[in-house]
Amino acid sequence: MTQMGFYFNQTRCTGCHTCRVACKDWHNLQSEGVNWMQIETIEKGTFPHLFLAFMAVPCYQCETPACMVACPVDAISKRAADGIVVVDPDICLGREKCAQTPCLKACRSRVPQFGPEDNAKMQKCDFCMERLDQGQQPVCVEACPMFALEIGHLSDLRQKYGNTREAPGFNHSLKIKPAVVFTPKPEVYS
Amino acid sequence: MEVSNPYLDNDVRVVNTGCCHDCGGRCVLKAHVKDGQVIRLESDTGEDPQIRACMRGRAYRQRLYSPDRLQYPLRRVGRKGAGKFERVSWDEALNEVAGKLKYVKETYGNASILLLASGGNQGMLHGPLPVGAMLQEFGGFTRTWGIASYEGAMYASMATYGTIRTGNSREDLLNSKMVILWGWNPAVTIQDPGTSLMLARVREKGIKIVAVDPRYTDSAATFASQWIPIRPGTDSAVLIAMAYVILKENLQDQAFIDQHTVGIEKYKDYLFGVDDGVQKNPQWAESISKVPAEVIAKLAREYALVKPAALIAGWGPARAAFGEQYSRAANVLTAITGNIGVSGGYAAGFMRAYSSREFSHKKVVVRPDQAKPKRTGNPVEDGASPRKYSLHKLYGGTNPNGARIHNAKAFDAILRGKAGGYPADIKLGYVVASNCLNQNPNTRRGEAALAALDFMVVHEQFMTPTARFADIVLPVNTFMERSDIAPPWLGSPYYIYLNKAVDSLYEAKSDLDICRELAQKLNISPMMFAFTEDEILQGIAAGRDDIPDYGAMQRDGVLKIRLDEPVVSFKEQIEDPGKASFPTLSGKIEIYCEHLAEMGDPSVPPVPRYMPHAESHDASLAKKYPLQLITPHDKKRAHSTWHNVPWCREIEPHVVRINAVDARDRGIRDNDMVDLFNDRGRVRIRARVTERIMPGVVELTQGAWYAPDEKGVDQGGCANVLTRDDVSPGGAHPMNSALVQVEAFSQD
Repeated sequence: MTQMGFYFNQTRCTGCHTCRVACKDWHNLQSEGVNWMQIETIEKGTFPHLFLAFMAVPCYQCETPACMVACPVDAISKRAADGIVVVDPDICLGREKCAQTPCLKACRSRVPQFGPEDNAKMQKCDFCMERLDQGQQPVCVEACPMFALEIGHLSDLRQKYGNTREAPGFNHSLKIKPAVVFTPKPEVYS
Repeated sequence: MEVSNPYLDNDVRVVNTGCCHDCGGRCVLKAHVKDGQVIRLESDTGEDPQIRACMRGRAYRQRLYSPDRLQYPLRRVGRKGAGKFERVSWDEALNEVAGKLKYVKETYGNASILLLASGGNQGMLHGPLPVGAMLQEFGGFTRTWGIASYEGAMYASMATYGTIRTGNSREDLLNSKMVILWGWNPAVTIQDPGTSLMLARVREKGIKIVAVDPRYTDSAATFASQWIPIRPGTDSAVLIAMAYVILKENLQDQAFIDQHTVGIEKYKDYLFGVDDGVQKNPQWAESISKVPAEVIAKLAREYALVKPAALIAGWGPARAAFGEQYSRAANVLTAITGNIGVSGGYAAGFMRAYSSREFSHKKVVVRPDQAKPKRTGNPVEDGASPRKYSLHKLYGGTNPNGARIHNAKAFDAILRGKAGGYPADIKLGYVVASNCLNQNPNTRRGEAALAALDFMVVHEQFMTPTARFADIVLPVNTFMERSDIAPPWLGSPYYIYLNKAVDSLYEAKSDLDICRELAQKLNISPMMFAFTEDEILQGIAAGRDDIPDYGAMQRDGVLKIRLDEPVVSFKEQIEDPGKASFPTLSGKIEIYCEHLAEMGDPSVPPVPRYMPHAESHDASLAKKYPLQLITPHDKKRAHSTWHNVPWCREIEPHVVRINAVDARDRGIRDNDMVDLFNDRGRVRIRARVTERIMPGVVELTQGAWYAPDEKGVDQGGCANVLTRDDVSPGGAHPMNSALVQVEAFSQD
């Protein structure tokens, strides 16, 4: 199976949120708080010796997704062709009916999300599958003013950018194997 | 113009348009339109350099389709500011506006009509332009001068260089050996799209970047390897001390100084205390700025010796009392190190590189002795003598017409009129593309002023704090609902052509169409209104020498101009001084400015000086209000635009940022409600306790909408509740020169 992966050049990210909003616009995520792309801010240190970085958090399409394992009704699966983790809204029980919503607790990156509507079904980043299928880049990648994002075959990304799987704000997990490669921001203080 | 649809739904057409409000960019947007609705956006996917829209542009659908959009003309029914309005027809609304305009003209004269215009909703056509054309034809009006963003930088640029075209192309930064971001945060302020990307490439090339700023900004954190925190309002002191070090240690480019500048000896007299007995050495600057003397000396040596080096002096530190002195000090520093006119250097100054905002890119260098007094075409301004402190002998820069009122003094002028020394008694306010109550300094005084007007009409898209004071509010469409052309601020070489994507929503109209109808009711016919929107845009394009094919620009939605080589301002003057001179009185770079000297006023010294003022960190007022407030841009908004867009707002709540030391002293914890106040007003807001701002300084980003409660406490977090409605001689607004106190707020 081919595994699609995500590349994030953390040294370039200014925390501008363009990727997050481009995603919300493209997928029409009108609700506040529902973000298929999340931006985390990492601030460390004491004035004037500071470290600041941002972490782009789409779904990293883990090789063994914790959300998939946790789902009681097998609504979450990995596409055979590219390893993209997808949720079938027809199978998903919905927030109220599922009661436990274990996918929420399973994912440490808070990727699975529920809208505000009654018995909302789980939704998440799917690497803009429909755009990939058309030969286009996902909208976040195409939006980034810093050209800091890329989505492609994980093996290609590793060949191109190396095999760094951790960065400030993100720890790798051998258990779930997030399909992500970083150019991490060196933790140097001002 | 449409292109064929590469997307899934074949009933979608893609309209090439662009984002056009008052940030530093103008960016490509492709609107996907289905059944007359914009259903999603893309940005530039074309050839390099791509002009990618930022988060604000990408969020535009939520602004376009906001439930708060003004839908039809409104007439005020409640007290001014209360926000109570009734729906009226266009005919009724425009009759009322026309009637008031005629009445004020006949009763008080045209000078009593004040145009309060800004750039909030402005392309090369839509926005204030048609309103100005209409009022001019109507017999004239009083207008304001002074742009809050950059007036100090512009004045200093003119005084030093005689021009505002002082920038180099962004890609030329790759030729620098060192880049200094002085009070400059383009990750948020944009300052032409692609600027941040270029700075990342500069860093990746191993070029040292230093950030000088009271805040550890996103730009400082992402691009710089050294951060020098500096006390607000003291930038000129540090720049002056750098000049001291360079000249004391003989690190200057003496050949450059001899060949291209005038007045170095006069500057030395100030630096070495011949004037006042004070050596302007790094120890002197440290005591003022909190920047350690050895850091100042090291930065000075590095900047002087590592050639070429680019000192980019942002406009923020010049949005301060005597802000023009900071810009002058920066300009002079670039001159004494010979970093002007060379690739990889930078002349600071106003920083425009390419001329896409001016009439032509062709450099028209007009020698001051050839400059003719400019007629503005506005009858109210005919015959007015030049304004005090204006650089009226120079060609370009801010119009020196003495009939104009400084923007920061517009409220005072309304309240005091001729008795207060202003050129007119103002009776009617005409507001377009401006949320002046929110964005001009001293909001509460602004409330009194707007309430004192006999009549006010506002063109708006939303019920802004300003619009709440209107008698008539006219709903204006957005750039998605009309066509226009838009250049960026600082002259990246491109134009955006904004093709209308959808019909005007509700009853909204363009500024042009509103003025067309109003002109009929005023029985006037300004020439501009004889043409269609497209004809006017074609005329704007035809008058320029860098738009060869209007149709292609319209089709593509963007025209990227290919330059033979990056712009390096003043290259001609430096390479061949015999052939080209600077458009100053002396023909050279003016370290000592004769034009300023002639004014003979210590508030406009001929060489740059550090000058304290009533709200300096060490002013007596600082005992009562010990914190310095700065009011920079917010990444969630462009000024007050996008304030009400949820996708932007969810980044983070609007907060006052305060250093942990200052917070602890006041018993304030992160996320606590606090009162931020001075004698001008009080803001109640959440505190963000952070290490990213230096102790003694608090930050409240400008642009959040003023929302006073019944006691007059602003619950909206409008920074200008606290800023001074004062003006520096050069026109700088003192937005970053306000002393405040912060206290924990408790309900009881």
